[in-house]
Amino acid sequence: MRLLECEAKEIYARYGIPVPKGVRVKAGEPVPADLATIGPELVLKAQVEVGGRGKAGGILPATPADAPRVAEELFQKEIRGVPVREILIEERLLIRHEFYLSILVDRSSRQPLILFAEAGGVDIEQAARETPEAVRRVTVSPLLSEVPPFALRDLLGDMVKEFGPVVNRLWKVFREKDAILAEVNPLVTTDRGVFAADAKLIVDDNALTRQGITVNRDLSPREREAESHGFSYVELDGTIGVIGNGAGLTMATLDLIQFYGGRAANFLDVGGGADKERVKHAVRLVAGRPGVKVILVNLLGGITRCDDVARGILDAGVAQTVMVRLAGTNEAEGKAILDGRGYPMFATMDEAVKAAVEAGA
Amino acid sequence: MIYGDRHTGILVQGATGQQGSFHIPHMNTYARSVGGRGVVAGVTPGKGGQEVHGVPVYDSVRAAIAEHDVGAAVIFVPAAAATDSIMEEAHAGIPVIVAITERIPVHDTMKAIAYARMEGATVIGPNCPGLISPGEVKLGIIPAHLASRGPVGVISRSGTLTYEVIHELTRAGIGQSTVVGIGGDPVIGQTFTDVLERFRHDPATKAVVVIGEVGGALEEEGVASTDIPVVGYIAGVSAPPEKRMGHAGAIVEGGEGDAASKIRRMEALGVPVARRVAEIPALVKEFL
Repeated sequence: MRLLECEAKEIYARYGIPVPKGVRVKAGEPVPADLATIGPELVLKAQVEVGGRGKAGGILPATPADAPRVAEELFQKEIRGVPVREILIEERLLIRHEFYLSILVDRSSRQPLILFAEAGGVDIEQAARETPEAVRRVTVSPLLSEVPPFALRDLLGDMVKEFGPVVNRLWKVFREKDAILAEVNPLVTTDRGVFAADAKLIVDDNALTRQGITVNRDLSPREREAESHGFSYVELDGTIGVIGNGAGLTMATLDLIQFYGGRAANFLDVGGGADKERVKHAVRLVAGRPGVKVILVNLLGGITRCDDVARGILDAGVAQTVMVRLAGTNEAEGKAILDGRGYPMFATMDEAVKAAVEAGA
Repeated sequence: MIYGDRHTGILVQGATGQQGSFHIPHMNTYARSVGGRGVVAGVTPGKGGQEVHGVPVYDSVRAAIAEHDVGAAVIFVPAAAATDSIMEEAHAGIPVIVAITERIPVHDTMKAIAYARMEGATVIGPNCPGLISPGEVKLGIIPAHLASRGPVGVISRSGTLTYEVIHELTRAGIGQSTVVGIGGDPVIGQTFTDVLERFRHDPATKAVVVIGEVGGALEEEGVASTDIPVVGYIAGVSAPPEKRMGHAGAIVEGGEGDAASKIRRMEALGVPVARRVAEIPALVKEFL
């Protein structure tokens, strides 16, 4: 789950990474009167979990006097489709130079990877593509509680003294907060030292509970409901509701729908060993979305019992036609339960998808 | 046979749990049908002295290997305890560790894999269905009745999609040497590169099917690392960016790891990539 900039900065500050002075203001709350204590010049930043916020008009300069008016202006905006519910009012830093620093999980080396670049404040993915040599990279063993000096030298060259402490503090944040990305972009130098001018922190979804995070804000309400049933669910905008077991098979089902010219309404993986109740909930959840014309169930059972699945489909009793492809344990029993009750059944994925695409058109 | 064979004694960690006790008899039925040793010991702390489907249970891996010759371990314990199990097995000297468990925090996985490497152990998974070498050994939960023995290796980040592929291969009369589910997490012990290297040295394997999905670049890296004939398939062509498609690792991030670019890169390396699962057998036949 991606944290807001202000939340990330509060964490960074607790770990000793300097952040600009600032105050959070929620929509509907008054802007504090003593803004002059923050600084003579201010920056107001929309707190939304999307990238490219500055370009989309989500960051505005202000003086303490006109800050309330600028804040009001920001609260009226949507940044890349996301309404502004909170803003961060910060002192404006007198920046000498901008750098880039991040730590992420590197799949290839199976280790954390630290990135540092002397050009900050930019789209780092683009910079890395255009001038890969400008981004310095060091992998560090996940077993180490500190970044070893040699790795700091490899990463920072002659800037170890200036940035070494910040790198080690961010390393601590990354490890202790179960981050999959801890980013400071830009990391800036000023005549008062080094500051994290911006902050991005993404927490591993598999570690939210132990991080004390109870609600995954990255998910829509329906996605959260699905999660509470143990489903993996993603909303799309088509007409064919999809239920599969296993992420790969469900994705392949969506791809096949697209291949045959249809549009899926969702991705729903019921997980392993789906029983009657889970299947019933899944069918109802998918059917409950407006615009869903037909539902396609594609289940390949190892643990999953086809007779359980068939009973779940029957119990759901939804208005839309449910097309069924079942293979695996108790396949014959499952088919017998649905036979003659208006549930078209198919032996292969391709046949089932073709029929669903026709019905969903 | 690339991670074990019929002579491999298997240890199951989490033997008395719901998953462990469900899969032990499946692994042993398969072992009996091919004349293999199957599961020789189970481990669940505090349940030592019990039996699960005739398999003796021990309190620790150390206690189990004192009594049994173990060549591989399969882990079914919950996420909070799974990486401790990986480390316990690696420390005890078990060379191959298959972690079925899903939803392990990625920091725990990174640490456990780093530790296992120092101990010289090979980790497959986590969040994987394990592997099967038809006619030899099953380590994990891949439904054995879908597989058949033959010359094609299969490597996949997925579970049920792998079953779909081996089902199609078997129906087309193409058997498999070993089928490996490497796992759907961003960090996994054995990547496509590692398994392809094993297949390259396996006399039973003539060609390999690489079943990938959105997220990361492990598929392209693997294909670029080997000269064994490969057929590809990538799930998630229709996946929207920045959305996690079920697997923790299945996400297009920062414009990287989308299916179209993976397919393009694999095809640029001369690898035929199926657009539908049903096309895979015909592409594989070209190499046999």
